[in-house]
Amino acid sequence: MGGLSPGGLALLLVSALLAGGCTELAPHAGPITLVLKHARILGPADPFPGLLREFEAAHPGVRVRSESLPWSSDEQHQFYVVNLEGQSPGFDVMMLDVIWVPEFARAGWLLDLTDRVRPQEFAAYFPSTVAAATWSGRVWAFPWNMNVGLLYYRRDLLAKHGFQPPVTWAALADQVRRIRAAEGDPTLEGYLWQGKQYEGMIVNVLEALWAHGTGLLGDDGTVFPEPERAAAALGFLRRLIATGVSPSWTTAADEELSRRAFGDGHAIFLRNWPYVLNLLEAPGSRVRGRVGLAPLPGGVGGVGAGSTGGSHLGIARGTAHPDLALALVRFLTGERAERAMAAGAALYPTRTALYHDPALVAGNPWLPRIHDLMLAGRPRPVTPSYLLLSTTLQPELSAVLVGLKSERRAIIDARRRLDYFLASNR
Amino acid sequence: MTPRERADRRRGLLLLAPTLAILGVVTVYPGAWVLWLSLQHRIPVFGVERFAGVSHYAFLAGDPRFWSAVWTTAVFTASSVTLELVLGVLVALALAGQRRGRHLAFSLLLLAWAMPAVVTAKLFEWLYHPAAGLLNFLLGARLNWLGDPGLALPAVVLADVWRTLPFVAVLAYARLLAIPAELVEAAQVDGAGRAATFRHVTLPLLRRILAIAALFRTLDALRAFDIMFVLTGGGPAGTTETLTVYAYRGLFQMLQLGFGSAVGVVVFALVMTVAWAYVRLLSAEESRA
Repeated sequence: MGGLSPGGLALLLVSALLAGGCTELAPHAGPITLVLKHARILGPADPFPGLLREFEAAHPGVRVRSESLPWSSDEQHQFYVVNLEGQSPGFDVMMLDVIWVPEFARAGWLLDLTDRVRPQEFAAYFPSTVAAATWSGRVWAFPWNMNVGLLYYRRDLLAKHGFQPPVTWAALADQVRRIRAAEGDPTLEGYLWQGKQYEGMIVNVLEALWAHGTGLLGDDGTVFPEPERAAAALGFLRRLIATGVSPSWTTAADEELSRRAFGDGHAIFLRNWPYVLNLLEAPGSRVRGRVGLAPLPGGVGGVGAGSTGGSHLGIARGTAHPDLALALVRFLTGERAERAMAAGAALYPTRTALYHDPALVAGNPWLPRIHDLMLAGRPRPVTPSYLLLSTTLQPELSAVLVGLKSERRAIIDARRRLDYFLASNR
Repeated sequence: MTPRERADRRRGLLLLAPTLAILGVVTVYPGAWVLWLSLQHRIPVFGVERFAGVSHYAFLAGDPRFWSAVWTTAVFTASSVTLELVLGVLVALALAGQRRGRHLAFSLLLLAWAMPAVVTAKLFEWLYHPAAGLLNFLLGARLNWLGDPGLALPAVVLADVWRTLPFVAVLAYARLLAIPAELVEAAQVDGAGRAATFRHVTLPLLRRILAIAALFRTLDALRAFDIMFVLTGGGPAGTTETLTVYAYRGLFQMLQLGFGSAVGVVVFALVMTVAWAYVRLLSAEESRA
């Protein structure tokens, strides 16, 4: 970057005066660069560059450089851990998977936003996203986009055989058996979900725990507070595979593997996130116009609920420009930016009002329905030890799904391992 | 020792000093640091930093996940290195025996070697696809390659063999080209068939280069990470989790730097032991020859 011409300097000074308190020009008066780290944004039309230019136009003298994170969530987490442990992270604003917020806050890597958030500012967001941005009674991030686990079903097949979307798991299994028997198509699978050994499997297990009226972490921090119910939930998942309601390859299935099989018309039910809807309804999709959306079933001692996910925007504590960084976060999580992201990038907003926005609903008539499902969604345990918990549980729970371990054995083994690690955290 | 020898020795040490200093900075210092970390509870997220003694090692001794990782690492290393050596030699022989298209075959062979492990893993993810994968299509089966605890590790080994076989093949091929034709002809004149020629002439001449290839491949395989990390994430039921993957999970996901370092130290010790054994074997061979 070359030096600043006298004319440019004058322009900067004028713009600094015009922008008022919003801009904090350093004494050297060079242009300020804010670095934003985020995952690549997929979708028909990426609105991101346009949004950033808009922010720059409103904040003269400020440039925003957006830098892509690695592809997978594991690598993103690793990138942050390595860079945030040092003193100058090299970025100001960062996209965070909701499950990292408490961990990063606990580590002192995030700027505490509690005193900067305006009263009522968070009222516009889904309460569960606000809960995920809050830890230890303080606010660490702004909710940016949202996800919830849903049940997709083949509307045409259910209608043909006279079924309503199942409200209980027993009804789902029954419908699978009857429809497959009647269709006689050996390539038609029943219920697809994610059982590969990874974070996505933990989400599916959590949803099964909720459907069985229990959870992963008790109020006092006990893992599997009700082991009998947890064993029942794990046994239920194992039986889905063992009895053929779900195919055997469920134990290798992630979101995309299961989405493709359902999208090719090879399954009756699918548990997945809302992004799938846009792909299923895209021109050329084999199941276009034949898909329905429902809440995940319950009825085994609990109410079915989808797990929420998504990402937040937080500010690195080492930033030199906290006010500007906050302005950028506010802008990107504001109504205008979230609307543009929802329209162009298939990212679901965290602001509840947008789900009834006439222009957006015209483009995606499912929005009001998804709103209700998002509202009913439940967050994963909000704890700084979340990744420790998940990483420890993954092989144990996978062993139950493939039939190598009994549910009870897996629960005992997982608890024993977690006791060692959680004790050393204290 | 004569004064002259002593002076030579001193000069030798002086000339070695820069190498030793660099080795000290880039390997000994970090190695010692990891060893020191492994004796601590160090969890930056929780601000925990205290001496743990050997408690991580004691925990590992009774940790089924650790022993499963040791077993997986051993099986992966033994089977992938064996297959790579056997198939690598076969490919090298085929290549050397080929009259036309040798350059093309050679280039195609190198392609697999040049591909980053992550790309190979993605490629094999498609080959192993339960419904749409080429492998199941060819076999006319619906095998659950990556989701069956009995098949996942063989599937990972196969992907690794495909990727690293060219390394062995190229080394063996280069050695084959250097074998004088007279040697083979002499054997044939003496009445040796193809198999006998291979056994008594070609193989002994390939021995040293294969030992070196085996050393490199073994040390790589003991530290294998990316192929299983991308393909299976260590699953199902941890059946493809190697020690390096376990160390990664401890360090970067559980953020237990002390515990993760302890696993790292074990990997290091394992690699050093195997390397030492190989070097002993090679030098014993040399003194015999």
